[in-house]
This record gives sequence, structure tokens and C-alpha cells, in this order.
Amino acid sequence: MFTYYLRLAFKSIKRNPILSALMITAIGLGIGASMTTVTVNYLMSANPIPHKSEQLFYVQLDSWSQFEPAREPNEPPDQITWTEATNLMQAKQAFRQTAMASTGGVIEPTGQDDKPFMASIRLAFSDFFPMFDAPFLFGNGWSENNDTNRDYVVVISKATNERVFGGENSVGRTIRIVGENFRVVGVLDDWVLVPRFYDVTTGAFDETEEVFMPFYMKQELELSNGGNTNCWKSPEGEGFIAFLQSECVNYQMWVELRDQNEKDQYMDFLNNYVNEQKALGRFARPLNNRLSNVMEWMEIEEVVADDAQIMMWVSFMFLLVCLLNTIGLLLAKFTGKASEIGLRRAVGASKTDLFIQHLVETACIGVAGGILGLGLAFLGLEGIKSLYGEFVQNLVGLDFTMMASAILLALVSSILAGMYPTWRACNIAPASQLKSQ
Amino acid sequence: MLTMTEVKKIFRTDLVETHALRDFNLQVDEGEFVAVTGPSGSGKTTFLNIAGLLETFEGGKYELDGQDVSRLNDKKRSQLRNEKIGFIFQSFNLIPDLNLFDNVDVPLRYRGFKGAERKKRIEESLELVGLANRMKHLPSQLSGGQQQRVAIARALAGNPRFLLADEPTGNLDSKMALSVLELLKQINDQGTTIVMVTHDQHLATQAKRNIYVRDGRVSELSELTDINEINLHQAANG
Amino acid sequence: MSSNQWEIGPIFRALMRNKVGAILIAIQIAVTMTIVVNSIFIILERATKIERESGIDEINSFYLTTTGFGSNFDPKSTATNDLELIRSTAGVLDAIQINAIPVSGGGWSMSFQTEPGEEKETEGAAIYMVDEHGINALDLEVIAGENFAAGDVRWRPAGVRDWPDNVIITKVLAESLFPDIGYQDVVGKTIYIQQNEPMIVKGIVDKIQAPWVGWDDLEHTVLTPEITEFESNRYYIRAQPGQRDAIMPIIEEALASSNKQRIIRGMRTVQETRERSYRADTAMIKILSTTMIILTIVTGLGIVGLASFSVNRRKKQIGTRRALGASQQAIVRYFMLENFLISTVGVLLGAVLTVGLNMLLVNIFSLNALDWYFVPAGMLVLWLVGQIAVFGPAKKAANIPPALATRTV
Repeated sequence: MFTYYLRLAFKSIKRNPILSALMITAIGLGIGASMTTVTVNYLMSANPIPHKSEQLFYVQLDSWSQFEPAREPNEPPDQITWTEATNLMQAKQAFRQTAMASTGGVIEPTGQDDKPFMASIRLAFSDFFPMFDAPFLFGNGWSENNDTNRDYVVVISKATNERVFGGENSVGRTIRIVGENFRVVGVLDDWVLVPRFYDVTTGAFDETEEVFMPFYMKQELELSNGGNTNCWKSPEGEGFIAFLQSECVNYQMWVELRDQNEKDQYMDFLNNYVNEQKALGRFARPLNNRLSNVMEWMEIEEVVADDAQIMMWVSFMFLLVCLLNTIGLLLAKFTGKASEIGLRRAVGASKTDLFIQHLVETACIGVAGGILGLGLAFLGLEGIKSLYGEFVQNLVGLDFTMMASAILLALVSSILAGMYPTWRACNIAPASQLKSQ
Repeated sequence: MLTMTEVKKIFRTDLVETHALRDFNLQVDEGEFVAVTGPSGSGKTTFLNIAGLLETFEGGKYELDGQDVSRLNDKKRSQLRNEKIGFIFQSFNLIPDLNLFDNVDVPLRYRGFKGAERKKRIEESLELVGLANRMKHLPSQLSGGQQQRVAIARALAGNPRFLLADEPTGNLDSKMALSVLELLKQINDQGTTIVMVTHDQHLATQAKRNIYVRDGRVSELSELTDINEINLHQAANG
Repeated sequence: MSSNQWEIGPIFRALMRNKVGAILIAIQIAVTMTIVVNSIFIILERATKIERESGIDEINSFYLTTTGFGSNFDPKSTATNDLELIRSTAGVLDAIQINAIPVSGGGWSMSFQTEPGEEKETEGAAIYMVDEHGINALDLEVIAGENFAAGDVRWRPAGVRDWPDNVIITKVLAESLFPDIGYQDVVGKTIYIQQNEPMIVKGIVDKIQAPWVGWDDLEHTVLTPEITEFESNRYYIRAQPGQRDAIMPIIEEALASSNKQRIIRGMRTVQETRERSYRADTAMIKILSTTMIILTIVTGLGIVGLASFSVNRRKKQIGTRRALGASQQAIVRYFMLENFLISTVGVLLGAVLTVGLNMLLVNIFSLNALDWYFVPAGMLVLWLVGQIAVFGPAKKAANIPPALATRTV
């Protein structure tokens, strides 16, 4: 019977080609617009590390001025000071922990023809790699001893390895960065994080860095500040050390806590730490420490852009109009089929039979609209890419889930749209349609 | 075959109640060919719609083939319509998008026959009405008389025991009307019970039995003078 | 024309018998209006934002970053030689070393106050470190006081926290810091940076924007007379009109070959930087415009579709009306009027939804509130769309011959 209904549906769709095209186009446009914006929002708000996003916590300490909060209303600053970064790392109270900073420096390849180039550098601790599941192509991360000994070791990205070492296994080889020789201990595989959750203070959709270096190199080599530096008070005294010891925040801190118990304990530790600092005359504000897991932190940092959200809601309203349009047209169309429906009733079709028949027809229109919508979504995402440029590259891919949901959304919404017209069509009194008029 | 006892049908609007049928009593036996006549608005069509299970009624009782159909749900009624009743309409009511084959196929689909069975029945019934060679044509490519023949083939394809015709020749010229009527008679002779609503007295006289509806009630015309003539006519054709 | 020729009563009663179809169109019109009006409002706001002038000669200027490396790298001599080299290149109007580029999104800001000490009212301002060529290179106008003299300019090593004695500020900042006096009188006043460190206002410039286009105090800007001795420094180059594209590769090549102890990177025109900074706004404008236009077309076509159907279904009725003496014009009027009634319900509902959506946007995304006249304008547009859409089918209806009345269909 289903194939029969399908055949009837095709006939019916062919009978009013312009009307059918209009409905399919309307659904297609609505779905296309919605899928485009949903994809962008979905990727922006994606969980970049689903299996442990509940165990990774971003640390915030309220070290700000007693006269004003770092952010209204009474929010602690989004980064910490060098003092806190080093103190918390030395305390080692979490299962894993890493303080981080971003910087940049010139890499000088050894080859005669290779030009020096600027590379982005992330300063971190050895726990960084296991905490964030960094994928290694060769070698490994550095050890805790490397951290404390301030050894000149680095992990480099796959692209950097290609550029400097031609893609060979470079573990153990020397690379010249910021005028110093470093030993390569590991080479990362492709590592795309959307969003790049471990540091969203500069741009949530930046790429992962080209070089990873032990955190204390910051002090050792007096590396420049990447990202945002915010101070509520100017450094006391001149020079690099004065800046490190200032109340300026430029560092991020993540801890890995495996359960609620560990989290509670760590929170207690933070509160105790801040109270100790208060005794030293710092931390003038009331206790206001935060531990936010990955998705909470993304929410706080408003990783999903307002414009993307506005566009998504506009596109949903667009879809609504397209569906209302379809409902109206289907209603008109099915009303036009009243005599056929009456006849079918007379020869023994039950209401259910007719309901299914027309639902199949609606679903066909829905699927066609969905496929069109999918095509339009591809175009839409290409459009987004060309409008916003390269930095949205990672935000405009359609994966299988999105494609399946596009079709499903089209199907569900068209069937919903078809529900009322279908119901009305089936309830046409058969006798009323059979007499010639 | 068909027994209506004191069946009532009232159409209500906000202001008026129209009694389309009042205490309608009628019995039609197996194999009969009954013509129903009456003035416009007398209730002929309402009777036919109720007989064909297209409409419900308020009071009284209706037995079709020994089964009380007063309280059946839509699914059951649809099934009965499909299995036992064939319809023929004044305006043929063929589905314009479907070719002849597919039009005759419509009731068979709802019966749930397998493909081969359907094909056989469609071919047989189109054969019977003499249009087997035009199976792939669309209704619009046929004359009115041919269209009505297709409609009859559709009504017969499911082997109904009971054929309901509503002004079957109303849209046809007299020559075509006659040939359609001959076809109906032929079908009746093969055992199918036929009830035909018409306002054409001449046509009505061709049936075995005549009933006259007025103000929603039946008055039998069994004492009609020319009844013998009908029977004679019948014999000549038999 | 007498009022009963307008048939509003009968049309309305006929509509009420086919409520659902009419309601669907009305809602469609309402939602379309909601989107169109809010989109236009957002588009106009963004367009205004983009059109703000940075105050500098954007068209003829470009910039690049030089990053030194190696132990032999000397920032001081590099900067001196580089600036000399660039300024003497043919086609260059002027050039400076600068710590940040207007409109680029990255820069420095500090707080300024008119009295020293903690807990005083402050104004944030972006800082551009330039030498005495700054005014000319950036194409600014000193409207009070004077430009830096060569002697005012100092070298600023990395890690230094103090500030030069002189500062040039924008008119807007002058007025924010000293609201009670004219900006001309701000020249010679002392302002404080880092709470207690005094700087004397040497001049006032007409206008230069800060690097952050989304910042509320976009024209709070100061120029300080210094050249940085950092490892990474930026040069901002203003070309002779029309020479920009020609001299960009020349300068890049000249700098790269003059000193091997550094890399030249990030060379970009200010025009491109502006495009990048406003890219999200430009994109939003384009996306909303497209959406709005397509949506209006969809709604229009929907009205055409439904009206055509309604005409087809009522063919016989229309034929009968014609037979009874209705003129073609009367038939057209019937359908136009029917659509007008539906549209009226739609735009009234639309007005409510439009304001509602705007309030939501204001609350959730801190957008600005809609100006009132957007609503009646939107209503008018949607009315028009409806009337235009229904005209075709109405015309078709008018062409139905009266003879149809006597034919069975």
C-alpha cells in the first residue's frame, strides 16, 4: 500500500507543478536557512572534549580592586596573576593542573634557504597534554621534572614539524626558537579544537598553537605577553620581574578533578589560599572563587556570538513563515482534491487510509524540501565562509549528524505542516462531494 | 439484502431543521433492480447516501446483508462499502490524474488484493464494459458514455453484491443512456442487486421494481399499470 | 462610488467561513513584518556603525610588523634606519613607528584622570606611541595647542612603566575629561596616568579612533611621543595618493634586505584592516538583507498561490457574479479588498510581534530599541506586498467569462 501512496503522491505533486515547486522551495529555503545558522551555533557551542568536560575546571580567583569588580556584576577576572599561577601550581592540590599563557616568537629553521618565521607559543605545564588529550604523532609531552628544572624542551605542531623538519620524526632534535636552542620531545598530530576551549580569552575559534613550551620559560626568557593583559593597579617598580609580580592578570589555570568530592576539596583549598593571601594584604574583595567546567566556562565567556544567535532565531521565524506558507498551500490543494477524496471514501477508503495517503504526499514534499534545504545549507555555509573569512573555517562544516537532522527537521516540520490540511481533507463528508454541482 | 426500518435523517442548521427522511421503510431483496424516483428534495439522494454508508442517520434501523450497520465505526463502514457496495454517480467521478486501469484499481487497493489479483479483476471488469483496449487512456480522452462505463467497471471490480447508482445517465445523451442501462440490466441479471435513483420516469420503468419517495417517505408503485410491459421488455433482453 | 460597492461586509463574512486560510496568511504577514522591520533596523544600525570615520587617511596607508631575533638585534638602530629608509622611499608621504593600528582590534589603553590619587573618576583612552611625524602620517589636524617637537620624543625600552611628559589628546577626550571648559582651554592642563603620574596636554587633535571598533568610547585616544625598543614593532606608512599598492612590495623588500636579524610580517592596508574589523557587521547586513528579501518573496508567492487557488475554486461563483452584472473592475476590487482585510489583521498583529521581538533583542542581546516610525513603515510595506501579490490572481479572476455560470464544471 505504501508504494501505492507514493505513486499517488507523485501524481498529485506533478499535477500542480508550480504549486508543488513553491511548497518545496519554501520548505527548502526555511530548512536551508535554519540548518545554516543551527550548524554555526551548534559548532560554536559544541563540546570540544565530551568525555571529560565535566572533570576539567577553569579556575577564577577574585584578585581585583576593592573598589570595583573585574566585570559587572561582581564577576571575578577571567584570568589570574603570575603569583597565583605559580602558587597554585606549586601547591599541586588537584589530580592534574596546568597554568597557561600565550606568547609568540621567531623560529629559525636550520636550512639555509628557510626563512625565519613567527610562531604562536603556548606556555603550559606537563599535565597540559594528558588533561586536554593532545594527540601525539611522535614522542610525548615533557615531564614534571622538565617543568621544575626549566629545561629547554618543546612540543611542536604537525605543521611546524613539516615546516622545520620536513615532517620527519624530530623527537630529540634541536629547534631554535626566540634565539634559544630547544629539544623537541614531541610532535602533535592534527589538533582541531572547536572551540579552542583551553583559552577563549583571545578568540574562541583560534587554532591550537604551533609551539608548546614549559611555563617557566616566560620568566626564564622574559617572553612577551600574548592575549589580554588587564591590570587594576600598575606594577610596582620597573622591569620584567616587577611586571610578573604585579596584579596584572594574563594567565589561565585549569585543573582536572575527577568527582564532586575532589571538586569540593579543591574549592576549599582555593578559599584557604585566598584567605592566606588576604592576611598578606592582597585580595581585598570578599571570597569569590569559581570553578567552572568546560561547558559552563564556554557559557560564561559567551563563546556563541550574539549575531549567530540572532541569526538562528531569525532563521527559525523564517522557517515558520515557510511552513505557514506550506500549510496554506496544502490546505488549498487538498480542498481542490475534495471530490477525489469523496470518491475514495465511497469506494471504501477509511479516514485512516486517506490520512496516510495525504501524509505520504506531505512527507514527499518534506523530503524534497529537506534535500533542497540541505543543498541550500551547503551554499549558506559557503556564503558564511566568504562573508566572515577564514577564521570561521572550522565552524562551517556539515557533518553527518547535521545532514541527517536537516532531513529529519524537514520531514517533521512538513508533516506537522501537513497535519491540519490532511485532517481537514479526511473529514470532508464524502456524500457532499459526489453529486455533480 | 437491504432493510431500512423507520430510518430518520435530519439536517440541522442554526435556524432550521430539515427532515430529509422520516420513518423511511424499505426492503430490497437479493437480485432486485429497484428504481427510486421522486421530486427534487424528496430525500432520494439522502436515502442513497445512507444506503451506501456515506452518511449516518438519527433514528431507526438499517440492516445490510443481515448486518445492523447503525453503530459501526468509520473503519468498519469503509470496509463494508468496499466489499459489498459499488457506486455509480451522475458525474462519473473518475479521478482525472489516473488512467482507466488505475481508476478501476482504486477500490481494489483498499480491499488489499495482491497485484496479480487486482490486474485480473481490472482487466475482467474493463472487458465487461468493453473498454479493455483503452486501459492506459485518461478519463478526459473518453466520451461521457465511456466514462460512465469505466465508473461501472470500477464499481464492479470488487464484486460487490449491491450496486448503488445515482442518476447514472443524467449526464448522458439518450443513446448513451440506453446503452448504460442495458449494461446495468446485464449486471443485474448476473445476480447483483441494483438500486438506482433517477428522476427520469422512462428510465425508472426499465427497473424490475419502482419506488417513489416524497417528503422523506416511501410510496411503492407496485400497482403501476405498465409493470407488465417492463417484464416483457426484460424478457426480450434476457 | 457608494460604500456598498465596496462589499466589505460580504467579503468579511465570506472570509469568516474560510477562517483558517485567512488566518494563515495573516500570521505569515505578521511574522514577515516582524523579521523585515527588525532586520532593517539592525541593518541601519550596523551601517551607521561601519560608516564612522577613523580619522586617519585609510585609503593611502598600510602597515607592517618587524620582529627581531638573535642576540645581535638592536631595536634602536633598526628603528632609526628603517624609518629613514621608508621616509626616503619615493611615493611615501610619511611614515612612523606606532604601537597599535586604529580600527585593527588590538592595542593599549590606560586610564586618565584630572586629579591625582586613588578613587578618582577616570576616563579610559587608547594610546598611540608616535614621534613628531605622527600627525602628518596619520593625517590628523592639530586644532589647539601644537604637535610634538623632535625633542619631545623619547625611546621606550621594553618593561618601562613610566610615561613621557607631554601628550596630545582628541577633542572628544578633552571634552570628557574637562566637561566645563572649551577644548581649546585644555591645552596646557595636566592629566594623570597611573593615578599619580602627570602628563601635560600639548595639543588637541580633531579625531582619531581607538583600535577597538566595538568600544563605546571609540574617540578616547591619546598620542604619546615615544619610539619603542621592543623586539616586535609596527611601521605605519602613508603613501602619496595612488602610490600605496605600488610601494608596498618595494618597502617590504627594502626592509627585509636591509637587516637580516628580523622578519617582516603582517603587511596589510588599513582598508583591509577596516574590512576585517567590520566583517561581522558587513556579513550581518548581507545575511539579514538576503533573508528579508527572500522572506518577502516567499510570503508574496504564498499569497499569489492561495489567491490563485481561491480564484480557481470560485470560478463558477465569479462567473455568476459577472453574469449578474459585476464589472471586471468589481471582481478585481473584491480580491484586492479581501487581501487588504487579511493584511490589516496581519500587520496589526505584526506591529505587536515586531515590538515584542525588538524588546526580546534589547533584553537578551542588548540591542537598541526600535524607533517608533519603523512600525508604521513596516505595516505600509507589507500592505503593499499583499496588494501587489494579489493583483495578478485578481486580474485573472476578472477575465473569467460570465458564460461559465451556465456550464457545469
